[in-house]
Amino acid sequence: MFLTRSEYDRGVNTFSPEGRLFQVEYAIEAIKLGSTAIGLCTSEGVVLAVEKRITSPLMEPTTIEKIVEVDKHIGCAVSGLMADSRTMIDRARIECQNHWFIYNERMSVESCAQAVSNLAIQFGDSDDDGAAMSRPFGVAILFAGIDEKGPQLYHMDPSGTFVQFDAKAIGSGSEGAQQSLQEMYHRSMTLTEATTAALTILKQVMEEKLNSTNVEVMTMTPNELFHMFTKEQVEDALKNVAPLEQSRGDNVGRSESDHRLVTTKTAS
Amino acid sequence: MAMVSSESTPYFPDYGTTAPRTHHFRPYAENGGSVVAIAGNDFVVIGADTRLSAGFSIYTREQTKLFPLSKTTVLGCSGCWCDTLTLTRILSARMQMYEQEHNKIMSTPAAAQMLSTMLYYKRFFPYYIANILVGLDTDGKGCVFSYDPIGHCEKSTYRAGGSAGALLQPLLDNQIGLKNMLNVKDDPISLERALAILKDVFISAAERDIFTGDSIDINIITKDGVKKDSFELRKD
Amino acid sequence: MSILTYNGSAMVAMKGDHCVSIATDKRLGIQAHTVSIDFPKVFEMGPHLYLGLPGLATDIQTVFEKLRFRKNLFELKENRQISPQMFSAMVSNMLYEKRFGPFFVEPIVAGLEPKTSEPYICNMDLIGCRNEPEDFVTGGSASSQLFGMCESLWEPNLGPDDLFETTSQALINAFDRDAISGWGATVYIIEKDKVTVRELKTRMD
Repeated sequence: MFLTRSEYDRGVNTFSPEGRLFQVEYAIEAIKLGSTAIGLCTSEGVVLAVEKRITSPLMEPTTIEKIVEVDKHIGCAVSGLMADSRTMIDRARIECQNHWFIYNERMSVESCAQAVSNLAIQFGDSDDDGAAMSRPFGVAILFAGIDEKGPQLYHMDPSGTFVQFDAKAIGSGSEGAQQSLQEMYHRSMTLTEATTAALTILKQVMEEKLNSTNVEVMTMTPNELFHMFTKEQVEDALKNVAPLEQSRGDNVGRSESDHRLVTTKTAS
Repeated sequence: MAMVSSESTPYFPDYGTTAPRTHHFRPYAENGGSVVAIAGNDFVVIGADTRLSAGFSIYTREQTKLFPLSKTTVLGCSGCWCDTLTLTRILSARMQMYEQEHNKIMSTPAAAQMLSTMLYYKRFFPYYIANILVGLDTDGKGCVFSYDPIGHCEKSTYRAGGSAGALLQPLLDNQIGLKNMLNVKDDPISLERALAILKDVFISAAERDIFTGDSIDINIITKDGVKKDSFELRKD
Repeated sequence: MSILTYNGSAMVAMKGDHCVSIATDKRLGIQAHTVSIDFPKVFEMGPHLYLGLPGLATDIQTVFEKLRFRKNLFELKENRQISPQMFSAMVSNMLYEKRFGPFFVEPIVAGLEPKTSEPYICNMDLIGCRNEPEDFVTGGSASSQLFGMCESLWEPNLGPDDLFETTSQALINAFDRDAISGWGATVYIIEKDKVTVRELKTRMD
């Protein structure tokens, strides 16, 4: 009997005796190292906000692209291994265009997530014209889009599992951010409120100070589909975000949640 | 109904030789038939004759050429019958796959675009079919899509296709498109008038086109589903 | 493509109540290239007799000149007007003379019998096989479109005005669906005491 994990955590094609696929679980751990991304779905539209980790002052921040357009009506926020995410976003874009080509209609957000999921679970597969993928993708994705069912938000993890959410956070600050989302989210939110909420939570969980260069914001409404905020628009949106110190002092309930945030941050 | 034939020389068995002879495979047959479709504001009607023929022989007098693809979409086919059978089976398979993949019924405009791409994928060995696809669009308005054999698609409100297409299209231009007429009101066409015109034009086609006749199958598509009707034509 | 449809044409003749009509388009083209939009294809061969020649333009002119010659010779020899019946027999005979090297025209004859004023229409194939129906005849590259139109629009005993409307609608809507005929039309309504010629404006594309 193999007693150590290491006997079963190499291959992606072998279950452990407890019925686990360790590589997939490690991949899910890996995405918790990524930068935080938050998505909220309201009746008016969807909003995505992500932090950009500026690791060097010599770095050009605009070249970090964590929110991408998949089609006019679908945007994605990614967290984890960016190189892996490129492959998945490519697939999402191809599937959306292929759907338009064949059916002359916009692909639904769910179908788009399904299509990318089909790629995500191909690890371990090998066929005539290619070797097997060596490992699962180390990426978590938020699909934000508007289709005939209205504004929608989907989350997908490295195992290819995708679930619809009203609000979801991914990346290193996700545990704390998800808590805050649960407290702040309500169904009758306006899109502006949702944007402010996303930035407020991002501000709480980010290690650096939030400003218009280290955050990306995208909104989508039926009238204006995929819309990336310009630097000026981000600055305007940041004006609505209450200073962290002030909200701590003002609100007892909030300070409790902030306390939790600090603990999760140190743990990760 | 493709066939293998030898050279078109007379049959003289007494003079047969063992010399090699060329045989040709003819993958296409012209099995005739006409399809007419008329769309209104909240309905669409499509009719097709039921004669299946090849040259001067009639295979059957009761072959429907209308294929319901969903509750709001019907396809009318005329031309090479074997191609029609194959195409319609692949189409209904694709409709089912779409339904299972995307959890919804394919809309008529989506089916129209899919048919166009399916036909174009056989650009160099086409399905030899004149297709007319009708249905209700997402707003419930009647629409007609007509195709050439390699996937050119045109959306319109009325169309005649098949062996009597050339005879009937100018008549529809005149009676429904109100072309070359002065002082006429361009009211939306009623279901009763559409059906009356449909029957009239088929009576005319049966007079002059030997590949059209026997009877017509009519499908009336409204938001309540597909209603079927039929009408007798001359059988000679 | 058949040589009969090299230049493009649309022609129709209809019987009415003591009147006949014959109508033609005015286009001359070399396949898709339009050369003229005022090319005569219907000719007056007598006070109540018209000859339409859809088909190859060069043969239209040759056949017309040959027939005018034969008709004039007949009328001088016999010292009487030629009847539509006799004229169509003459056309038919002349075409069959060229049975194995035919003129590429499919003539239409329309007129009134001189004494009885009975309507007469007739068409024939390029080697002179005659067809004398009770309703209408068609010819040219738009003939299948014309068949569809006439089969629905024509009815027995049309008066001159109704006959004009029916013929015009049949012709115009038919050649609008034929790329190589159209570009204006001429309609002749032949009655006992007068012949009305109307030039129709149509879409020019």
